[in-house]
Amino acid sequence: MIRIYEKLIEKLLLFSAAVSASVTILIFGFLVILGLPIIKGGHFFHLLTEPWSPYDGMYGIYPMVIGTLSIAFLGVLFGFPLSLGCASLISVLGPKPVRRFLKKVVQLMTGIPTVIYGFVGIFLLVPFIRELFQEGSGMCVLSASLMLAVLVSPTMILFFIDSFDQVPKSYLDAVDSIGGSRIQKFLYVILPCAWKGVLTGLILGLGRALGDTLIVLMIAGNTVQVPGSVMDSARSLTSQIALVMAADYESPEFKSIFTCGIVLYLFTTIVVIGVRTLAMTRRRSRP
Amino acid sequence: MSDAVKINVYHLDFSYQGHRILKNVTTQFEENTLTAIVGPSGVGKSTFLTTINRLWETVPLADMKGNVEIKFNGCFHDVYDQSFSLPRLRRSVGMVFQTPNPLPMSIYKNVAFPLKLTGEKDKKLVARNVEKALKRAYLWQEVKDRLTDDANLLSGGQQQRLCIARALVLEPEILLLDEPTSSLDSRAAMVIEELLLTLRPNCTLIVVSHYLDQVSRIADRVIELSDGRFLERPLGNPSQLRVSGLHRT
Repeated sequence: MIRIYEKLIEKLLLFSAAVSASVTILIFGFLVILGLPIIKGGHFFHLLTEPWSPYDGMYGIYPMVIGTLSIAFLGVLFGFPLSLGCASLISVLGPKPVRRFLKKVVQLMTGIPTVIYGFVGIFLLVPFIRELFQEGSGMCVLSASLMLAVLVSPTMILFFIDSFDQVPKSYLDAVDSIGGSRIQKFLYVILPCAWKGVLTGLILGLGRALGDTLIVLMIAGNTVQVPGSVMDSARSLTSQIALVMAADYESPEFKSIFTCGIVLYLFTTIVVIGVRTLAMTRRRSRP
Repeated sequence: MSDAVKINVYHLDFSYQGHRILKNVTTQFEENTLTAIVGPSGVGKSTFLTTINRLWETVPLADMKGNVEIKFNGCFHDVYDQSFSLPRLRRSVGMVFQTPNPLPMSIYKNVAFPLKLTGEKDKKLVARNVEKALKRAYLWQEVKDRLTDDANLLSGGQQQRLCIARALVLEPEILLLDEPTSSLDSRAAMVIEELLLTLRPNCTLIVVSHYLDQVSRIADRVIELSDGRFLERPLGNPSQLRVSGLHRT
């Protein structure tokens, strides 16, 4: 009886895993099928490099690709030192009550809906940036990436903490027993041991930043242009999909959003493969 | 108080998660002697060692009451006094753990690491001290041609001697050893025992051990820890050391 029960559970779990895996593959297949007319017509690479000008019959997503990459990379660039500092404070450097409090705050931050960050961005950050630089509306790459940094930081912080906590206690005891300070312990032992975890967290943060829609849609200004500076407005691939879908159907503009989807999918896949490869080498090299 | 006293422990109480492990322990350790602490597993022998170098403070939910005084430069210092530097304490009181714990770096860097933490930048001085420590730990001959190798490639016994060298490079006045031979084969254990005997003239050694023969071979004094209290045991051959929880090697 128990044997049948175990077999049944095993099959069910296998089925769940198969469904999850096939959904991911099906989504890609769905995107490819819908984007087939563009891919077949040889327009795919054209769309990647062309500007967006529907009145001239040009539906290129090049400005959105650049907008996505610049906002996401800047977001991670701003968020990384913040996250590393915060994680080190929570894991090693801070006094115990501060550590506990900060960790709770970070965990809470992961549960806050993105739209709340968007509100904070629109009503606090955008006016601040506008006043500070006295240039434009404040809805720009800089504002969006700063807010994105706040959004992706909790993910990175929790991942970094997890990596720091996996450093064997025997190493920490060794440093403590020879009179190493907390910062020495962090710099010379924890960080070198946990660097792969830190890198994995960074890539995950980048994945989250690339895929975010709402913050960029609310704060980046959504102008279709290749941003020349961080004060320029920009539109991301996700914003492009959301904006076109909300206003159009079956037009060439609409068809072009599948290219956006494929590009986003490929970006995310590259990030996930990066994470998996790193995690595998991390497991192999763990003492 | 005898001039030869190095460590004074007064009314030491230690509890972990509310469970009282050490009960009103008062004892002294004389300079340049080797004291063995024996007793069954889980009675608090290792915990007692960590009260001397304050390493227990890294353990959550642990609490200690009482005083530990150590003589440095002829004067006793309360090591729990706020004004007493923790790095200074831990650099003067070395510790070797039950399981060898080399850091994930080369053999040379492992031994040089404590000097790096003290801010020593003179590379020649560091190299001299590393060689001296490895020689004192009976390891130099075995590793002198492979100092850049990963320390984790050494055998268990070599790793433990490397950890002793890492503690010795700071020239500690006291060395705490928590069952240093328990994870080693008998030959490697004998090498460590010989090493401890050579260190004794210049260092106060406190060794936690489970082995009757070892204790009778190396100890100047034997203390049994039982039910949270210290009991002096007479020195003698292994058959005279009737202590519960001890094994013959």
